[in-house]
Amino acid sequence: MSARLLLVVLATLVTAACATAPTAPPPVAAPPTPAPVARVAPPPPEPVPAIFKSDDFIVVTAKAGDTAESLATQHLGAAAKSWMIEDYMGARAFTAGQRVIIPLKPWNPTGVEANGYQLVPILCYHNLGPQAKGRLLLGASQFEQQMRYLKAEGYRVISLGEFIEWMEGKRQLPKRSVVITFDDGYRAFREFASPLLKELGFTATLFVYTDYIGAGRNALAWDDLKTLAAEGFDVQAHSKTHGDLRRAKDETEAQHAQRLQVELAEPLKLFQRHLGRSIDRLAYPYGSADDDVVAKAKTVGYVAAFTVRRQGSPAFVQPLRVNRSQIYSEMSLEDFAKNLNVYHQEDLR
Amino acid sequence: MRAGRLVVVGLAFALSACATTEAPRTVAPEAPRVVTPPQPAGPPIRQTLAAPHLARAAELERDGFLRRALDEWKIARTIDPDSAAAREGQAKLTARIEGLVAERVTEARAALARASVAEARRRLLAALALDPGNRSIVAMLQNEAREGEFLIHTVRAGDTLAALAERYYGDRSRLEVIWETNQLPPNPRLVVGTTLKIPEIPGLPFARPRPVAPGPPAPGPTVVAPSRPDSAREEAPPEVNPLIAEAREALERNDYPVALGDLDKLLAGDPANREGLTLKKLALYRHGKNLFDQKNYDASYKTLTTLARLQSDYEDVGKLIPQTRGRAVEQHYQSGIRLYREEKLPQAIAEWKVVLDLDPDHANAKKNIDQAERLLKGLEQRKKK
Repeated sequence: MSARLLLVVLATLVTAACATAPTAPPPVAAPPTPAPVARVAPPPPEPVPAIFKSDDFIVVTAKAGDTAESLATQHLGAAAKSWMIEDYMGARAFTAGQRVIIPLKPWNPTGVEANGYQLVPILCYHNLGPQAKGRLLLGASQFEQQMRYLKAEGYRVISLGEFIEWMEGKRQLPKRSVVITFDDGYRAFREFASPLLKELGFTATLFVYTDYIGAGRNALAWDDLKTLAAEGFDVQAHSKTHGDLRRAKDETEAQHAQRLQVELAEPLKLFQRHLGRSIDRLAYPYGSADDDVVAKAKTVGYVAAFTVRRQGSPAFVQPLRVNRSQIYSEMSLEDFAKNLNVYHQEDLR
Repeated sequence: MRAGRLVVVGLAFALSACATTEAPRTVAPEAPRVVTPPQPAGPPIRQTLAAPHLARAAELERDGFLRRALDEWKIARTIDPDSAAAREGQAKLTARIEGLVAERVTEARAALARASVAEARRRLLAALALDPGNRSIVAMLQNEAREGEFLIHTVRAGDTLAALAERYYGDRSRLEVIWETNQLPPNPRLVVGTTLKIPEIPGLPFARPRPVAPGPPAPGPTVVAPSRPDSAREEAPPEVNPLIAEAREALERNDYPVALGDLDKLLAGDPANREGLTLKKLALYRHGKNLFDQKNYDASYKTLTTLARLQSDYEDVGKLIPQTRGRAVEQHYQSGIRLYREEKLPQAIAEWKVVLDLDPDHANAKKNIDQAERLLKGLEQRKKK
């Protein structure tokens, strides 16, 4: 008790001394300075937080009520960068007087550490409807439950573009990053997914195969895709016909090469023509690809391509064999959560 | 004792508070130091604040968390740019990390040279943990040391590493790869029921185990089902082509026109799609029979002949076509007669012409057409008069 009193008095005295220094400008955003002479301890004011800064870090002393968001706004220029503080400190909110380390640049671009490495789960959905039907058509309420779970558990839904930049070493990602993708191009996405995703501040990538666009009764049309792209959803390729891209038994090498050319190059042209922009990401139909398919996809101009191997991907995954986890209608929320592993533990010392 | 420490901390806060007044955000590490006001005896305040980070850096370094230790040295220098201990600590550790990264990469190359991809990957990951932004290590992990496929082998009585190497690679000397991949102790005793990863060796034939005849599961606790680690291959995905799925659904509810529409769209893009072709034939067959039952013989005949063009011996289509044609002929012939009686001669003629299209040898149809045409001519001549 007496120790605390002593501390308050000392702090007050020193702060007062410094505040009266002739050349000192008034402190920025500081709590009211206590009266110059304080005999009796006033209600204890928080000491003005210290700021130390280097090229790599800022070290600040938190005020009461400081959060990763408030500190990110103040020191990193954007609340959206709060994940940097949150991940570095392992906390979202801070107590008055706590020293907070704010990294100014990516401190671990690949997320590989001495005790394991970061994984980014990429979820793969297909169709949605009022009721589940078959494995690949999820009920809207089940999907909503899963999305709200992501939000509540602090997962950060990032765009596929951000994931690719991570693979390329161009950015670091929040620790609990997740990507959402939808295959084929079902109309139900507009009805059941996009409003909810927007509400939650999530985004998604649609992999559509071009023969289906505007074809089936349940298919999205080019106009839908244009709208979705304008709303910030990423629209990418899923081949032309949705045929297995690997060479069939009765196919000659030349036939296969020709078929691959059509399957992989045609979508590029069509996207350019209908949406006025190029694409560079591919989801393999059925998730299947072998070395030939991968090589061809690369030649044609895809920078990232996606399978359906059920696991998250590290930053050093092969860019044309990125994993995705298909979400089935029979999965319970617990089963769903098993697809959200964001760290692979392994002693790498 | 406790009070004393608190006083120091309190002083630290208060003083650092005033540092902000002179050292706002833009201060670079080497910027002019804050003019510290006269202070009571004791360690300089920055030093005091940096001290825990110096201690933490040393501790992390001791425990092998070198990257995090390096951060702590940097944080200490952020707080106290003049700290010689922090500067030295950072410089030493940076050099040590550089040396270790080079060493790990060399080890990885050696492992690759003996085809031990799993071991190479472990070394490269260790290097990346030390230098997480190193793109050349990432490139190695993505290319020459990329993860291959592997099988899970459940150890049975009598298994040895050499025998497994012989079985999977046809080369007993490759046992080292299995040993390294599974991080086994020297001269390991393989325990029945445990599982081993058998990695693919690039450039070597990779013998799949002969399929074992399915039998009743072996009793007893010694046999453990092989656990599937994360990286094991996914089972064949159940994804289907959505147009095929839609066509199937339509077939289930006997909506043949919709099913055929979907399948034609599918086949337009992918004419050789086997599943699509199979479904199309099934849809045509059922549709043809269904139309026959509904006495829509024309459409039935058309549908079944389309099927016969795809596959002339499909089910009993060879028998169905003459049947449905016979009924269609009969229907049009009778319809012609009805129209004739109603004195709708052109319509009657049209019906019988359809009969002749279906059956060019239909004598009665020919006769009736002739008769109707003659009658029609007579009527027209009478009208002119």
